[in-house]
Amino acid sequence: MTIRKPQIIPDAKDNVYDTHKCRLLRVYHITEMDKLFLFRFEDQDKAANWQFKPGQFVEVSLPGIGEAPISICSSAMRKGFFELCIRKAGRVTTKIHELERGEIVGIRGPYGNGFPMEKFWDKDLLLVAAGLGMAPLRSVFLYALDNRWRFGNITIINSAKYCNELLFVRELEALRDIAEAENIKIVQTVTRDTNCTGLRGRADEHLEKVNVDPQNCGVALCGPPRMYKTMFEKLVALNYDPRNIFVTLERRMKCGVGKCGHCNLGNSTSWKYACKDGPVFDYYDIISTPGMLE
Amino acid sequence: MRYMKIKNENIFKFLECLKSYGTLYAPKKISDKSYDFRKVEDVHEVVFNYDRTILPPRQFFYPPKESLFEFNKELVEMYEIFDNKGPVVLFGVHSCDIVGLRIMDSNFIDDEPDPYYQRRREQGIIIGISCLPDEYCFCNVRRTEFVDKGFDLYFSEVPDGYVIRVGSIKGHKLIDPHLNLFEEVSDKDIEELSLFDKKKKKMFTVEGNWDSLRYYLELKGKIPLWIRESEKCLGCGNCTITCPTCRCYDIRDYPNLDSITGIRVRTWDSCQFRSHGLVAGDHNFRETKESRFKNRYMCKNAYCKQVTTSYCVGCGRCTRFCPANINFKKNLMEINGDL
Repeated sequence: MTIRKPQIIPDAKDNVYDTHKCRLLRVYHITEMDKLFLFRFEDQDKAANWQFKPGQFVEVSLPGIGEAPISICSSAMRKGFFELCIRKAGRVTTKIHELERGEIVGIRGPYGNGFPMEKFWDKDLLLVAAGLGMAPLRSVFLYALDNRWRFGNITIINSAKYCNELLFVRELEALRDIAEAENIKIVQTVTRDTNCTGLRGRADEHLEKVNVDPQNCGVALCGPPRMYKTMFEKLVALNYDPRNIFVTLERRMKCGVGKCGHCNLGNSTSWKYACKDGPVFDYYDIISTPGMLE
Repeated sequence: MRYMKIKNENIFKFLECLKSYGTLYAPKKISDKSYDFRKVEDVHEVVFNYDRTILPPRQFFYPPKESLFEFNKELVEMYEIFDNKGPVVLFGVHSCDIVGLRIMDSNFIDDEPDPYYQRRREQGIIIGISCLPDEYCFCNVRRTEFVDKGFDLYFSEVPDGYVIRVGSIKGHKLIDPHLNLFEEVSDKDIEELSLFDKKKKKMFTVEGNWDSLRYYLELKGKIPLWIRESEKCLGCGNCTITCPTCRCYDIRDYPNLDSITGIRVRTWDSCQFRSHGLVAGDHNFRETKESRFKNRYMCKNAYCKQVTTSYCVGCGRCTRFCPANINFKKNLMEINGDL
């Protein structure tokens, strides 16, 4: 038997699985497990023209290790670079944590639908994050700050189990000086930590602290599925318009383009992929699809 | 549509001609009970009346294992590779499998097409053949017992040969150079065709259609059937490997011994494996065997908008090749209230 070598395709620009080189410009330590990475595309044209929407994600590709889907957490309005907040949790992310400034990774994307920011224009904004959920919501929050005139009052609730797991604490605390003048309410709370000076309790227990009008308010949630269930009940009870409630789901997204099937979500009338039809779904998508909140 | 007829004595000559268009694959008897698509060396080995092949035809366009990229770790560069084995001529595909390929197309050739699948599919030739159902088949309730697109030629059996439907430009190009092998369809042939269809209709063990089945599946999410049947399941993934519309894949990087270069390989994956829903931090979206078992039923019975049928085409492979004797068809009948 002869071993045939597969042919190398020289011009493979249109391959959906092809990656683009990105240089790691800075690394910030956020918590013990999480780091914030600042990347820029090596290709100048790509850097200038690459765009994404808040809530979208990229596939970070380390040749020889694998790929991992990561939400973009910087503002969509700043061109040229993007930030990823990554928790050291698996094979690929452990390797990413070992990267040093100046090193190069492969990036493909952005993928997913992202939050419908245009729908939130001229409305108040309520952002509720639990744990690592702050990462994609930071992108929404920064977008709202960059387009402050488009939005009404803004409330952001950031929660975590323990004090040292709260993401972007200092960044949010630094905003407190201007928060009142800008009609921004910042609530940071921990659920389990007893040695913490700040607020305690789950995110949904602080819903009365908001400064938004339930009837005219865009809601973006990111956290574990269990939080969505309680938030949905409370938000609907508080008269929030369900059409404006959006959540982002986590699934195993291997390809990012709706092909590999790992992120499938069952619904009898349409078979959805979290990576392509999501990861952002609205309230009615969630309640009409069994198994989405598992 | 253009119709032609080929007589039994000419069919092997035509198969011989087909070899010049690419590598010819056709069903072949490989054991007492089983058939499979194999490369045709001797055209007389081709089987025309077979029940089902073990592997579905998608394997020719979406191979079980293929290399996507060669990578260089130091340069962080990927070089696309494509194992081009040339055009595939697939003879003797049943109508359910043709619909299966169309469902694969709707998933892989969309607004962000998979280049590997697309290249193979575009140069492939599909020649369908009519068949009679056995006890595992339920293509009639899936509306896949008849196809009018997705093939280049379709052979319908009549006693002294086959009536051919030409389904594409490629199909015309297969016919035109060999016109001496074909003849016009006679009135008797048309009569025979409709007799064959009537005979086929009577052989099915289920009736009607299962369009509303997907609602019952959702509504009956907690019936004892799920636990009863999933307890039998071995989680081997045979049902997904033999399914003509299963399309999940896994991608892995295999470094070479120099630890700098290597290849990125894609292999078929199965939703019946525990690793399918596993994410970082060891959270599993389908932790129990029951949830993985149910996931396949939901996926297969969901509605495929582009092809206007369910993702299950009723070929019966998952029942026939299940080592634990889980009867997919019977379970669906139970959910639908047919038992």
